This record gives sequence, structure tokens and C-alpha cells, in this order.
Amino acid sequence: MNIIELDDVWKVYKMGEVEVPALRGLSMKVKPGEFLAVMGPSGSGKSTAMNMIGCLDIPTKGRVLLEGQNISSLSERELSRIRGKKIGFVFQSHNLYPTLNALENVQLPMRIHELREEDIWDRSEELLELVGLSKRGRHYPSQLSGGQSQRVAIARALSTDPSLILADEPTGNLDTEAGKEVLDIFSKLNARGVTVVMITHDEKIAARANQIVRMVDGKLAA
Amino acid sequence: MRLLDIFLLSLSHVRKSRMRSWLTIVGVIIGVASVVAIISIGQGMQENVQQRLGSFGADIITVIPGYFRATGVHSEMHTDRSVSTSSSINLTDKDIKVIKQVPGVMYVNGLVSGKADLKYDNEKTVVSVTGVDTSIWRLMDTTGIDDGRYLQAGDSNSIVVGYNLAHGTFLQSMTLNRPITIGNKNFRVVGILKQSGGFGGGSDTGIYMPADLARDVITEKVSNNQFTSVVIKASDASLVEYIKADIEQKLMSSRQVNPRTKDFTVIASALIREQMSSVTETLSLFLSAIAAVSLIVGAIGIANTMFMSVMERTKQIGLLKAIGAGEQEIMKLFLIESGIFGFVGGIIGVIFGAAISLLIPYLGIQALGIGGDMRATITTGTILFALFFSLVIGILSGIIPARHAAKLRPVDAIRYDQ
Repeated sequence: MNIIELDDVWKVYKMGEVEVPALRGLSMKVKPGEFLAVMGPSGSGKSTAMNMIGCLDIPTKGRVLLEGQNISSLSERELSRIRGKKIGFVFQSHNLYPTLNALENVQLPMRIHELREEDIWDRSEELLELVGLSKRGRHYPSQLSGGQSQRVAIARALSTDPSLILADEPTGNLDTEAGKEVLDIFSKLNARGVTVVMITHDEKIAARANQIVRMVDGKLAA
Repeated sequence: MRLLDIFLLSLSHVRKSRMRSWLTIVGVIIGVASVVAIISIGQGMQENVQQRLGSFGADIITVIPGYFRATGVHSEMHTDRSVSTSSSINLTDKDIKVIKQVPGVMYVNGLVSGKADLKYDNEKTVVSVTGVDTSIWRLMDTTGIDDGRYLQAGDSNSIVVGYNLAHGTFLQSMTLNRPITIGNKNFRVVGILKQSGGFGGGSDTGIYMPADLARDVITEKVSNNQFTSVVIKASDASLVEYIKADIEQKLMSSRQVNPRTKDFTVIASALIREQMSSVTETLSLFLSAIAAVSLIVGAIGIANTMFMSVMERTKQIGLLKAIGAGEQEIMKLFLIESGIFGFVGGIIGVIFGAAISLLIPYLGIQALGIGGDMRATITTGTILFALFFSLVIGILSGIIPARHAAKLRPVDAIRYDQ
């Protein structure tokens, strides 16, 4: 089964009287185990596509299926739960919760989903180790570099054992070296079978993915 | 998300922006402290009044000569001065007979009060003497006998003394059967009253004797069939108001006076107490209302801080929603935070308010002109009320900002630019 399937998805924003279509019939599929890059210039609708893939928003028209389930049929609360469980997010910036330290940040989704206290601690420590930051657990986001923050964010995205990691310009605010480290982690995770979708405008970064789809004018380029 | 985890998350925010949190809390502290202090002062005021008027029984009505207007005290008669003599001021046997016939009157005691010189053990002083109807007095007295007995019919040179007069006034305490000279007559102590304390505590320093004897020893002139006041016990405390009006009516007609020329006053202490209570109650309510304004300002402070928090944390709210938090959890997160402001402010405010209340008696401010220093009484009720109220205020001021936060759509929140 596809993890995410977008089927002729339209998203139209209203700017006062004017209707601006951001997506015009986007169809795509994300299969388990893929490392997919969604590329496109600014204005191509890739941010809106990311919202759809991440189930953060519902389409004006068309269907978004998360593991076969149409998200339009879910209540706000149900969608929030399922999204938190199935999708791990890594955003471009302000990823971490500033009042919590690195370890607590990794634990946050597990606390939201009310996992067992023992599992929360075991898993959070394990994940910090996976991203090479086990010694930084007590550091607050303000004490971490940009690259370290993104790695903590990846660890957090993995904490609920999601079907999909969705990264939105994950290296956008990083220098080349830190960006490479983050991408290495994605490759490593994908090699272990984690499905990764990355939204980017950068060809070099997209090249790290196994598969690239390109967007133009709110749909996939032909 | 478990409540404890939400609470810890809220706490992490309160701790992180320490300066702002404290400033918000200070607003609540000021409000709660002033409310606690003022409620305590109000309660102290009421207790003061109750204690000062408390020793009068609720079922006692007193008639005294002269008419007291409500607008300041006029002990002068309203009849033509030139006609009045000292003897006509007093109440008479006839008045007592009239009063006895009023329905609901149980006992009537005609008193002859005045000052007299007293000599005991070569010490001299002036005491207040109350002449009583010996057969009635024992039935109406609420103080009680500490030692010896009440006066009885046929006592010719017997007196009962107040507790403080017997103990502590003279170098040697009075004991039963000790001889005492009052107004050149010799008496013998047959009883000592218990200590009554309080405002009506004249009994603690007074001397009681049969009315006939009192007329002879006091310096004031009171003719044989006259009394300086009449004390009445009603059969039922709840009827006092009606009995009082009835006595007033009957006495006016028997004394042939109208409301303008009235020359006597009927007092029911229970009614006075009620009035005083309602005055102090109104006063403390009014003061509390003023204090409540500062509490409202504190609440607005919380709401303001919470709104700023929501604005600042839009991205974090988006993040929480993206990773699975629902509206309810976001709502709780902010409500707990504002509740913490309210509650912590409440605790510290109560401490400050209690401290202020404890300092009040040392300021020596006269309370309301009823005598006695101003004081404040802090009760557990006040403290619990203040804590509960500040928590509720904290949560209430957080509701609108919290709703605002909870309703944010994750997609908008994440893309929000600060």
C-alpha cells in the first residue's frame, strides 16, 4: 500500500476576492522505502504540496490518502493524532521546542502519544545516539548549532516510529558541512528502510534522493 | 498527552521567561494581598463590634429617660426646660406597671444607678452602684455568680460585687462577708459575679444592691418610686422588635407625650447590633470592591502576557499540532500556564495580605469611633477563598488566549513569520 497518495489534488487560496490556485491537480504516490525529493522553483506550489503530503491541510478538491485513508473524512483531532503517529516532520528552522532540552524534545511526540515512561526514556536516548548527539541531551536549543538542532529534529521525527519522514528544506539554514551531515543521516535511515520525502529547491540536495519529482505550476512537470 | 506532561511543559515556559512571569505574578500578588488584607480588616471590624455589643442579651430591651435622636446624642429632654426638674427625668413605678402589661414582656427590672463613695480596708474609691429588684435580677442576670449568692428579698445590707472590683481593684481581694462602707452605710458582700468582659462589662466593676438601698447611697437624687432605667426581658428574642415598638407606644400614651416631645428612649441592643453589623458589612464590602479592582488589573495582566505568549509561540503551537497535539492539549497547556500565574500570585499575595493584616493592630488606628484599635482577623476561609479565587482568575484570563492558540491551523502556525 502507498504511504501517501495524492489524487488530482487542488488547493485554492482566497486572497480577498481573488482565488489563487496553488495546486492544480497534483497526483503523486509515495511508496514504502522510497527516498523521494520534491523539487520546484518558488511559486511552483511545493510548500502547499508539502502541506498535503504531511496532512497539515486538507485539499479544496481531490483526495489525499494516508495509508489508504482519506484525510478529509477525519476530524481535526483524529487527523492530528494520525499525523503525529505516521509522519515525522523536519522543518527548515525553529524545529525544536525552545523551553525543552534536546532529550525532552525527542521525547515530546512520545509524550503526546502517551507511550510508556520507560520506553520514552529508552527510545529517546537511543535516537539521540543514532544522530550522534547522545552527549548533548541536556543542552537547550539555544546551546546547539544549526546542524545539531536539525539532527535532534530528525531524532524527534523518528520517535513515534512513523511511516514517513517529511523534511521541508532541511538544510536550508545550514552550511555545506552541516547540511551534508544531515543528508547523510537521511541516507542512512533510508538504507534501514525508513521512507523519506524531502522538499527542496536545490538540485545538489535533491541528487541525494533515489527519486526526484519536479513541480511546475501546481502539478508535476510532464 | 498526560496532564503531568502538559503541566511540566507549561512550567518550562513559565521558567524560561522568568522576568515576564514574575511581573505578571506581581500584578496578581498586589490584587490578592489587598483583597485578603481588606477582608481581614472587615472581619476584624465586625468582631470588634460584636464583642463590644455582645454582652447584651438578644432578648433584652432597655428604657432610659431622655430622648436620643439618631443624628447625634441629645440626652436633653424635649419638654420645656424650665418646667423640668431632675426628678421628672426618671422613670416611675407607673411606667413599670405599663411595661409589665405589654404582651411578650417576661421580666421587668427597675434599676437605680449612680455613683457612690466606697471605703474598703482603708482604701477609698468611687464606684457605680446599681440598685435592682432583688426578686427579678437573679432571673435576668446573664453574668452568673462566681462565689456566694444572688441578692434575695429581705436583704437589708447585702451587696453583690463585680469580679474585677473584687479581684484587683484593692490591695486585698474582696471575699464574702467582708464589711464595706458605701455612702456612709455599712454593707456585707454576699456574692461575687463572674467576669463578663465586653462592652456591657459594667457588671465587672459595679456593685449591686436592692434598689431601695441604692437610692440612699448614690450621690444622684432618685425619689422613692423612681428609677434611672428599666431593663426588660422579652419572652422571645425574635419578638424584640415588636415588643420594643409596643412599649414605646404604651409609654407615650401613659406619659402623655407625642413623638416630638418624647422624653424616654427604648433600646434593643439586638437591633443596634444588627444595624452596626450591616454598616460594617457594607463598609467592608465596599472596600473589598475597591481591592477587587486591583485584582482585575492583575487578571488583565495575565491575559496580556498570555496573548503575547500565544503570538510568540505560534510556531511552537504549529509544531505541537504537527506532531499530534490536539486543540484540547494546546488549550490545557495555556490554561495551566495562566493558572500557575494566578495560583503562585495567590499564594504570595495571601502571605503579603496576612502580613499586612498582622501589622494593622500595631498601627493603632482607631476603628470607626466605636473605640478599640483597628484590628484584622484572618480566617482559613479567607485564605482558601483567596487561593481558589486567584486560581480561577488565572484560568479565566487565560481562556481567550488559549482558545486563540488552540484554534490555530497547523499549516498557518508553522509558516508564521515572527
